[in-house]
Order: sequence, then C-alpha cells, then structure tokens
Amino acid sequence: MTPTGDPVLAARFAVPSVPTTFVRRPRLVKLLSDGEGCPLILVNGPAGAGKTLLVADWTGSAAMPGPVVWLTLERGDDMPGTFWAYVLAALRRSAGSLPDGVGTPARADEVDPSLLARLAAHLSNRDEPVLLVLDEFERVASTEIASQLHFVLRHSAPGLRLVLISRSEPLLPLHRYRAAGEITDIRNGDLAFTPPETAALLSRHGLSLPADDARALTERTRGWAAGLRLTALATQGAADPEGFLAEFEASRSTVADFLLAEVLDVQPAETQDLLLRTSILEQTHPDLADALTGRQDADGILARLQHANAFVEPIGHSWYRHHPLFAEILRVQLRARHPGLEPELHRRAARWLGEAGRLADALPHAVEGDDWAFATTRFVDDLAIGRLFTGLDSNHFAELFSGMGPEAAGPAADIVRAARDLARNDTDNGLNHLQRAEEGLLDDGPADASAARLSCAFLRVIAGRLIGSADMAQTAAQAAEDLARTIPERLLGDHPELTALLQTDLGSALLWEGRFETARTALTAAAEAPDSPATAFPRHESLSRLALIELLRGWIGRAEAHAHRALAEAERCGLPPSSCTGVGQLVLAEVAVDRDDLPAARTALQCAAESSAARHDPIVANGLVIVRSRLFLAARDPEAALTALADAGGLTSASAPSPWVADRVALAASAAHLAAGDPEAAVEALEDRVSSGPERAVGLARVHLASGDGERALEVLDSVHGESGSGPGTAVPVLLARSQAAVLLGDDASAARLLGRALATARPEHLRRPFCDAGPWLRRLLRNRPVLARAHDWLPAGLLAGLPRPDTVRDGAVLLVEPLSEREREVLDRAAQMMSTEEIAADLHLSVNTVKTHLKSINRKLSATRRGEAVRRAKELHLL
Amino acid sequence: MRYEIRVDGTMSKVTLNEAFPELESVFMRHQTVLYGPVTDEAHLYGLLARFQSLGLHVLEMRQLPE
Repeated sequence: MTPTGDPVLAARFAVPSVPTTFVRRPRLVKLLSDGEGCPLILVNGPAGAGKTLLVADWTGSAAMPGPVVWLTLERGDDMPGTFWAYVLAALRRSAGSLPDGVGTPARADEVDPSLLARLAAHLSNRDEPVLLVLDEFERVASTEIASQLHFVLRHSAPGLRLVLISRSEPLLPLHRYRAAGEITDIRNGDLAFTPPETAALLSRHGLSLPADDARALTERTRGWAAGLRLTALATQGAADPEGFLAEFEASRSTVADFLLAEVLDVQPAETQDLLLRTSILEQTHPDLADALTGRQDADGILARLQHANAFVEPIGHSWYRHHPLFAEILRVQLRARHPGLEPELHRRAARWLGEAGRLADALPHAVEGDDWAFATTRFVDDLAIGRLFTGLDSNHFAELFSGMGPEAAGPAADIVRAARDLARNDTDNGLNHLQRAEEGLLDDGPADASAARLSCAFLRVIAGRLIGSADMAQTAAQAAEDLARTIPERLLGDHPELTALLQTDLGSALLWEGRFETARTALTAAAEAPDSPATAFPRHESLSRLALIELLRGWIGRAEAHAHRALAEAERCGLPPSSCTGVGQLVLAEVAVDRDDLPAARTALQCAAESSAARHDPIVANGLVIVRSRLFLAARDPEAALTALADAGGLTSASAPSPWVADRVALAASAAHLAAGDPEAAVEALEDRVSSGPERAVGLARVHLASGDGERALEVLDSVHGESGSGPGTAVPVLLARSQAAVLLGDDASAARLLGRALATARPEHLRRPFCDAGPWLRRLLRNRPVLARAHDWLPAGLLAGLPRPDTVRDGAVLLVEPLSEREREVLDRAAQMMSTEEIAADLHLSVNTVKTHLKSINRKLSATRRGEAVRRAKELHLL
Repeated sequence: MRYEIRVDGTMSKVTLNEAFPELESVFMRHQTVLYGPVTDEAHLYGLLARFQSLGLHVLEMRQLPE
C-alpha cells in the first residue's frame, strides 16, 4: 500500500485549514515558540479544546526553521508497521529528501528496529529540523509504538522535533523529558479561553457581549473552545440571543449535550437529516452523503455548513470531515431519532465506497451493516484475496472477516474462509472451504466469476505447498494462468502480491518435491515482482528459497549471494527477523559450516531457529536439525550429532514427504555413525533410504574407505555420473573420495592429481569442510607433495601447518600436480627465453590461442598464476 | 465490579440512553450520577473515552462495594 495520489490519504498529510473565525491567542503561540529547541511538544486536552487549530495556526504563521510534516492518525493506525508506514510516507511527501534506502515496513504488526535506526540516522544528519506533528495521537495506545517513537526522537536529535496532539497523555517516558527540560507541555488549563478571548471569539461571529456575560459564559463552558463555538452558533440562530444566553446559563445541563441539541434543532430539516446520517462516516463526500440521504442536495448543504464554521471542515478534493466531537454526539442523536437505521446506512455507505473502488474503506461499513455477502463478494471480485496473506493491511482484513458467522453463504464467503484457514496453516479446514467454494462456482454457472475462480486456483496453489504436493500446485498454477487472461489487466496490476505469492508457493511446492529447475523458474519470477510492501514477503521468501536451491546443487557462493539478497530485502522492507522465513539464515549457516566458519554458522543457526517458520515450515525445521548435527560433527562429537538428528522426520506437516529432505537427514546420520566408528549403522542409514546420486555414492564410498577397501569405494563412485549443473559442493567430495581410494590402492600420482583437482574446484568457493573432514591420509598426501597446497592459503591453518614453505622446496623429488606434456615443455622452454606469445606461436607453427591454452595448463600444473612464476617454478623443479 | 461516575451538569435522556445504555442514572443537584456494572479495565477506559468524546466533564468516579 503506497499512499499516493489518494485524496483522503492526501488529507491525512494536509495541515488543517484555520477558519476565518479563529482567534489567535498570543500567549499560546508564545508557549510554543518558547519551546524552541525542545524535541517534544505535547498538546493535551479533551475533544474540542482547540488543540489541532492551535498547532495548525502556529506552524502556518510562525517562521519554522525546517519543514512541517503533518499526519492525522486514524482508526487502525495502532499497529507499529502501519503507523511507521504512514509516518514515513508523510516524511517522504513533505520533507522530500528521505532516501529510499530507509525502506518501508511491509507488515502491519511489526517493524524491524534497523529501519527505525536508519530513519533516526538520516534525520540526525539534517541541517534544519523536521517538525513532525502527529494529530489525534490518542488513537495510538500501543506501548510499542511509544517506545519506538522515543527511540527515534532520542537518536535523531536535533534533526527531529515531535508535536503530539492528543486527548490523553502519550506513553512515552515523559518524566525523563520533563526532568531534562526537553518538553513543552500545553494542557487543557492553557487551552481554555479567558473571558477576553471569549469576547473576541464571539465578536468574530458577529456577537458583542458585555464583559460580565463573557466571564459568565467562560465559567459556564470552562473556556471550552467547542462549547464556545456551539454557543456562538446557537445564539446566532436564536430569535432572542440574550434570552438564549440567560437560559443557557441558568440550565445546569451538560454543555455539549444542551448546545448541540439547540444548534441542531434550529437547522433546516434536510441539514439535520444529512448531519445525522453522515455521522456514521469518518469522512464524507457530497455524492456519498446523497447516497445516504436519498436526496440530491448534499453539495450545497455541506458547503454552507463549512462556510458557517459548523460541524464539518473541508479536507480537499470535495471531501469533508466531521468535527470529531460533533460526530459522536450526532451518532447518539441518530440512534435516538432513527432507531435501527444505522445498519442500513452502513450498507449504503459500503456500496457507494465499493463502487468508488475504495475497498479498504467499504469493508468496515459492510461489516458494521452485517452485509457479509457484499463484503466477501467485493473482496473476492477486487482480487484482494492475496491481501489476507501479505502486506500492511493483512491483519486489518483478517480482523474484519473474523466476525463472519457460519450463516454467511456463497462461494465468496467460502473463499474468504479458506484463505483465512490457509493463512493460519490450517490445511484441512482450508481445503474443505475451498472445495465448497469451487462447487458453488460450478453451480453458479459461467456468470462473471473469473475473479472468484482465479482466487480458488490461487488458494489451491497455497494448499499444494502446505500439503507438499507439487502436482496440485502446478495444476492450479496453470489454471490460474489461464484464468488471469480473462481478468482486466488493470485489476491484476493493482495486485502484484497475488502473482508473487502464487509463484513463490508454486516454487516452494516444486522445491519440496526436489524439482529444482522448474522451482527455480517460478521462484525467479516471484523474486522479480514489482516493488511494493505487499510483495515484500514473497520476494524475500523466493530469494531465500533460490539460495537453498543453489546450496543443494552445490553452488556455495551463489547460495550465499542469494541469501544475502533475501535478508537485505527483508531489512529494507522492515520485516523483523522473527517473521522472516528463516531459510535465508539457514542457508548462511550451511555455507558457514561448509567454509569451516563455525562461530558464524552458530549465529546464523540461532537466527533461523528464532524465525516463525521454524515452527511450521518443514524445510526450516529439518534444516535446523541437519545444521545442528553438522556443527556437532565438526566439533568431533558424533554422539551429539546423532541425538540432534533424532528430532528429524516427525517435523513434517506435509502429507507427502520430501525426497531430498529425507536424503539429507539420512546422509547426515550416516556420516555421524561413521564418525562414531559404526560403519554398519552408517551403511544401514543409507541403504534403501537415500535415492541414488553422488551424495549417496560418496556416503557409501566413505564407509568402504574407512575399512580400507579402495576398490569397492571406486566401484561405488564409478556407478554414478556427475549431474549436469551441479557445483563444487557436490563435485569436491567425489574427487576427495576418489583421491583417498587412489591412496589406498597405492597410486599416489593419481591421488595427487585428484586432490589437485579437488583443491582447484573448491578454491573459488573456499569450500573447506570436505578437507577438514577428510582424515589423516590427506595430511600425509599434502606433506609428501607440498606443491599441491601452493595457492591454497584459504585452507584451514590446521591442514597447512607443518607443510614446508613452497619457496624452500628445491629438490626435484617434489613432483608436479601432473607431468607436463611434450608440447607444454616446448612452450615453457621458449617462455623461459623471454619470447612473447606471438613469437612462440610463430616458432612452433601454432595459433596464438593454442599457445595461450598451453600456457594456462602449464600455470595450472605448476600451481603458478603468471608466466614468470611458472618459469621460476619449473627451474626449481629442474624441468628446464 | 460496579462503578459510580459523577458527571458535571444534567445529561439529556437521549445521551444517557443512547451513549450509555449499560448504565443507570439519577440526577443530583447540577450533576448526573451514572452507575452500573463495569466488565473490566478495558470497559472502564472505554467509558472514560466515551465521556471525553461527548464533551462530558467527569467529576468523580469510584468503585462500589459489591
């Protein structure tokens, strides 16, 4: 939800206009201006005390050192994510220069502290302070938001000044501000009109009052601005103004109650009717008011009311807002004068707002009017079903529909029910409701129900992921794609979250079944979804899962890059770590284990375990178990590794198990058994449990190698062929197992060649784990041929320790990784004579490219990086 | 728990019936006394907010012995 271009949203950011009858009170302006330098200004007072107008007038008239940013809070802003999304939108709109890097929260109920830190850091760098006014702050009762505001204010000084306008004291630690003299307090006692101010106000309304009467009226109303305003209006309308004032003073009835009744009663019948009926709205528009009254006169009435400074204030684009105090009393009057009319008015308002495309405003009215059929149909037809799963307003919508009883019928109601269940991971109920919805759509015939059908297909994809059925997800995704063609493009464009979620869930279902390539296609599409808070979660989740795919294919570096992108995306969108998917951190933990950076692995593991997905996503739950066992194994504690693995398996909520998840658990168990010295259990863990593949072959080969049987190990390894597209994470363990087998068979030359290839393959990824786990044979091989370790200073220090320094190697006994061919020897010979590549090519009747290829393989075989180095190494080895 | 709330001035019957249907009331000299069951703290604060948004001036509020 990017608040742009919407007139009502624009009104939330607009400084309210000050009416012509406003009385400026210099003593209050002075209080505000004296607070120069105070980071916090508090304007507290009851409804109608004149708080908003005071601040609006001050910011409009006094010379402000920096920009003024105004935000009027509304119902529903009491959640951290929503609150900060609006504050940031207000800052972006008014202060202009807030950089995009600060981000925008994507979830309603939480916001990442790092986003607030970035905001504070940016504000603290400003030359002139931003004055942020939060009006109607009493709508924010959350202690969390209060402490976040306190944090931002503390850390952005002196770049931010905060004005809180509220009916009640905010929950910030005010005593600290007071103790430090960092607060300007304006309270009801300050706001109350003095008798001369009362006289001034009444004279603005064309009434002149003797001083005594002004004092009496001030006393009677306690200097309450709204009371005085109503008095002025009532007196203007009264036939005998003096008699009216006397009557008011004599009556002991409550002020607002008495005056409003008096004021309302002198209005024409149509005006009264319009005021009462529109009191159910937060904001009103002439056309909307006409829809509620059934007449055509709202335009004129509202304009007149505004002109008389009564009841309504314009907020631009033909919209008006009721004075909040009057709206409350008008609602009371409405209930008394037209019992039972309220629900009908809500239904009419819902329909008008729905027609105007204002879904979020229409739904609460439909719910108030108990019109579930309209609420659900509108929601589904607007293609908003994805909003129950992601975005700033997902909680808001979920809460609205939570009041829906079982009596609400029809496919749309069932679709909403299914979505709510699936969003809570309640697959059984979700599928039941979904089926009923689909049956309902069949009965309904082909009437314009493409949005409903698309919603069903979308939900079926989600259900497919939850039960672990890639087929179900794929079929539904195909159906969704066909249905999407029948939907207006504009409507689809308004809901980028729908496609992003669909692709993410399709990709996840395919990933679960191990169909990596198709999964990658779907996830890549989701990761490229248009940037909006509603798509933040699917983008983050799909990037994390892409990282997992790369990891499983053995591409350590790519996995790490994707995981970092996923986490950066989450941070930018204010997704707090606990609500991230956890897959990204899990991938980072695995990468760190692969690179033998165990502290980093533990940190990432901790983060992954704290994500909410750790509880309901079987990939994360099982992944945690595997990383824990790998960490124990790295710490040479196979018993603990096995104990950790005992938690696996039972963590699957999906009805279809994932083949590769089971494989990985079994492989980890096998490795732990082998490390514990139990080869039989190690074989047993693999047999029948792990599908064929290089990992299984390596696992079995290791068992044979441990028992000294190199031939059988080679046999197992020969039976598999390297999968295309798999990376060093898969290839290196195979090469190492082959190298160890060669050592056992006494073929040291092949062993060295294989080890050299393993090292070269692992180097770009810094893949250390297989070498750490290899055992004593590797150390012996390296000691005999130290040249192998040249250019591999990334290897763990434990492995390199004790090896002779390469430049001290001078005897010819040290062999090459691989002997030079005859041609290579000729090329090297000429290179040693300082001939250029072109000269060598001409001399040997070869092409330049062929010479370059030879030079490359010479460098590789001599573990050199440049030509000069290769010549020097060759001389050391007496090859020249 | 039961509460008694005193409001300055005489409230109209309309406001009493429509805004505070859950409370009973008596009129004292220049005051309206509302009393009745209050479910919990949330209800209590909600009542206070309702008084405030109707421009009513609360003079006194106390819990009644059961």
